[in-house]
Amino acid sequence: MESFLQSLNIQVITDVAIVALRILIPLLGIIVVFQCYSSMRRQRRDEKPLIVLENRKTTEALPVLFWENSIGRAKRNDIVIPNDLSVSREHCVILRRKEGWFITDTGSKTGTYVNGKLISERTPVYINDEIRIGSDTFVLKRAQDYSVIDSGRRSLFYKKEGSKEGIAPFALMMLISIFTLFMATEACLSIEATDFRPLLIFAVFMGLAWIFYLVSTKIFRRVGFELEGLALFLSAIGVMLSVRQDMRQTYVQIAACAIGMAVFCFMIKFLQNPDRVNKWRLAIMIIAVILLGINIVFGSVRGGAANWIVVGGISIQPSEFVKIAYIFVGASALDQLQTKKNFIIFIIFSAICIGALFIMSDFGTAVIFFATFLMISVVRSGDYKTVVVSVVGAIFGGTMILRFKPYIADRFAAWGKAFENSDNLGYQTARALTYAASGGLFGCGLGNGYLKYIAASESDLVFGLMCEELGLIVALTVAFSIGGLFFYARAITTRSRSTFYSISACCAAGLLVVQSSLNIFGAMDILPLTGVTLPFISVGGSSMVSCWGLLAFIKAADERTYAIKKR
Amino acid sequence: MRRVRTRSVFVFILVLLFFGGLCYFTVNISVNAGSWVQHSYNGHLSGSGGLEKAGKIFDRNGVVLAETVEGERVYNSDYDTRLATLHVVGDNSLNISTAVQSVYRDNLTGFSYIWGLEMPETFRGGNNLTLTIDSAACKAAYEALGGKEGAVVVMNYKTGEILCSVSSKTYDPEDPPEITEENESEYEGAYLNRVLSSSYTPGSIFKLVTAQAAIENISDIDDRTFECYGSAEIGGKEVTCMSSHGVIDFEDGLSQSCNIVFAQLAYELGGDKMTQAAQEMGITQSFSVGDVKTVAGKYDVSQASDNDLAWSGIGQYTDLANPMQMCITMSAIANGGNRAEPYYVESIGSGDYSKITAEQSDGTAMLNSETAQKLNDMMRYTVETNYGDSMFGGNLTVCAKTGTAEVQEGQSNDAWMVGFTRDEDAPLAFAVVVEDGVFGLTTAGPVASAAIQACAESIRN
Repeated sequence: MESFLQSLNIQVITDVAIVALRILIPLLGIIVVFQCYSSMRRQRRDEKPLIVLENRKTTEALPVLFWENSIGRAKRNDIVIPNDLSVSREHCVILRRKEGWFITDTGSKTGTYVNGKLISERTPVYINDEIRIGSDTFVLKRAQDYSVIDSGRRSLFYKKEGSKEGIAPFALMMLISIFTLFMATEACLSIEATDFRPLLIFAVFMGLAWIFYLVSTKIFRRVGFELEGLALFLSAIGVMLSVRQDMRQTYVQIAACAIGMAVFCFMIKFLQNPDRVNKWRLAIMIIAVILLGINIVFGSVRGGAANWIVVGGISIQPSEFVKIAYIFVGASALDQLQTKKNFIIFIIFSAICIGALFIMSDFGTAVIFFATFLMISVVRSGDYKTVVVSVVGAIFGGTMILRFKPYIADRFAAWGKAFENSDNLGYQTARALTYAASGGLFGCGLGNGYLKYIAASESDLVFGLMCEELGLIVALTVAFSIGGLFFYARAITTRSRSTFYSISACCAAGLLVVQSSLNIFGAMDILPLTGVTLPFISVGGSSMVSCWGLLAFIKAADERTYAIKKR
Repeated sequence: MRRVRTRSVFVFILVLLFFGGLCYFTVNISVNAGSWVQHSYNGHLSGSGGLEKAGKIFDRNGVVLAETVEGERVYNSDYDTRLATLHVVGDNSLNISTAVQSVYRDNLTGFSYIWGLEMPETFRGGNNLTLTIDSAACKAAYEALGGKEGAVVVMNYKTGEILCSVSSKTYDPEDPPEITEENESEYEGAYLNRVLSSSYTPGSIFKLVTAQAAIENISDIDDRTFECYGSAEIGGKEVTCMSSHGVIDFEDGLSQSCNIVFAQLAYELGGDKMTQAAQEMGITQSFSVGDVKTVAGKYDVSQASDNDLAWSGIGQYTDLANPMQMCITMSAIANGGNRAEPYYVESIGSGDYSKITAEQSDGTAMLNSETAQKLNDMMRYTVETNYGDSMFGGNLTVCAKTGTAEVQEGQSNDAWMVGFTRDEDAPLAFAVVVEDGVFGLTTAGPVASAAIQACAESIRN
């Protein structure tokens, strides 16, 4: 017994504590992400029709299920009027706004009539109004008068009805705080320096997070905190990874996080009315083009790409903000979507953005924009021809880059052969792989890594740093939580208040996933290293702000965001 | 609205690709982590190559070849022993990739992918590793090399235990050389275990391959005679011999190492049969030695002229052979056609050294047993009539064949001796190659003799 006690010296106690922390951090990380998603999966709304269109002749009732509904002969419409050749394939759109219900004719051959009058633009409709589409006349009725009608297939994302309540935002915040505290404690015990500065960072960051939580739940009275929770979880990891690398960067990162939160709140406010957003579309486009123009003229070169501008000692990356503008311009409401007029403008805007990025030699971001362009054009038009043409064009353009920009070709040369080229072209990736493997499943502890001494380890190679210091489990949890955003965005497509929201949410999530792919697979030698950031994790102010902005699109797509919270 | 959902399938596919990529990465890192971490630049391994907590490495008699004392990796106290065992044991910087400190570093240090490389000390414990080699025999072989570069390997062909494995150019792991651009040539190939990873022009030892092809394909081979007058025109050009043997039969052709006999046979048998023989005799195969693979030799006469084919039959042309592979081939000839499965790691575990008890095994079929017996007899005849048993100390019944390979005209030769003993109590197969030698018999012979005598002494005791 005595010898047992003797063996329990300080060294052993610290070692036990370190191992316990290493196991607890991934465990808590998984719990946080799991709780966020499982809470999102419980948000299934009752799928009763909002109103119904009653056929005057047959008294058959067509349920109107969504905020925006296309009406037409084609099966893909939300409301199908089959077998009537006088109905166009995509005839009109009936949509709901704060002010009430509207109907828009989307270029039908025979026109749409409200109470006998041919309509030309968006026209309000009220209960008991008569709407003539083709040879049939429908009467707008309240849904309560009708028994529940089958509402179609439902998403697998959601859990069955009647399951337990999701995690309360407060509990989620507590979990994230403990998770971050554990990381900070581990960073305090790092081999190199043992001090308590990481705890100070913990206090600053979590203080900010709690303020954000209070503002969002108490002042804005927003329902749900899962997306914000995920963003805080990811940001906390990014902040803690940088603590032992460069303390100054850490403060910048926290400041950027604060700005990001403000942008997030502002955007949710701004996105409230999809029609207002549409009015701003041109202005946003012009601002984006000006930003890129300034960048091209005044940009400074870092790591081969001229994608930085320095304003008053602060360096920013305009292309990050243009990402937000790009989603704005790409998405639109269903009635505008069907008229197709503004699609050309979007293509031109895309060409300008991608062209500007090429001039700046920022090919990683150009790839992200290109992928987002493909996503938006398919989701908007369902036209795969555009995709094929664009991809062929991109391959052609890509070949040109390889010819004229030799340093990009070098990256391709080293791609997949990191270890063979570990002293020259594969220098960064070889080290990222070696150190990622050195971390094992639980990591070697924050601050104990060696990848942090390699250039760009805090941004381009951050996935390797995460694997090394926090372990594979945390790294994969992070990757899955970003990938999961898309499933959430897709699950709420038919529930959002406009296709503007569904398109922007799906494509914003898609953009984040594409960006993560380029970062993760680039660092791990599965794709060429393109030097893009990992959302919320990589050090970089502009990137952090833009990620919060993109997240706002997903948040705005949730119907509950703009619902008035019941007291 | 529903249409947007349907069309978002495109994005869905991109996201699935992302998850697919993550799965691929996870599998990849789980499988390859062990090799990914083993790079000299890895900061987690710097200093003592991450070996500061590694266990001991014993030879077959319990002699400590490497151990960790107060966080420092130290090697055997004897200078020559350190140099002789370097390529089996390895150094701190893991420069020798086939050495046990590199290959079994995870076991020695208790590394597992689950816990990564920075486990707190309390939870880390290295394992001990026992080798089958005899450090004294290695030292004897190394000293017999007399500073020349080359490779020596001796194994017990009944059990597969490798008793002696020496590679030179070598260096002291306690004081590793700083290899710079100036002294690069001096240390060329020092990081290579020549036994496993080098291949040499075989010269006359390749006559065993040609002999195998002849025995299998020419039924009246023993009744045949050949004429040697120092040179002969075969395949349109000249083939030369070291001496003028006159009228000579097949058996004497091997024992006297007559070039004309085997050049003639190779030419007569043709490329296909020769290529098949080279494959069967293992020349072009890669063999597993524990977790390491030998480099495959070469026999390629697809572009050869008739004269080239003739030269290829006496181990010239583009022929290459690996020392370990030659030793394995010897084990098959010694063992009635069944080759031994060589290994040099006896055990890895937390336990201390315990005496080795290797089991005899039947080995793996490699050669036709009659052919093997015939080659066995011919190699014994070669020693009896040509080299003499006395050069092996007199208490071993040795069967052998030497080779003197012309590497390049004007340069000195690679000297070979391969063979085995017939002694039940010391069943040894061996292969020795010395670079920059004169003749196989005079340069490689004494090294082989020293190595097998030391090995025999070790297992007879």
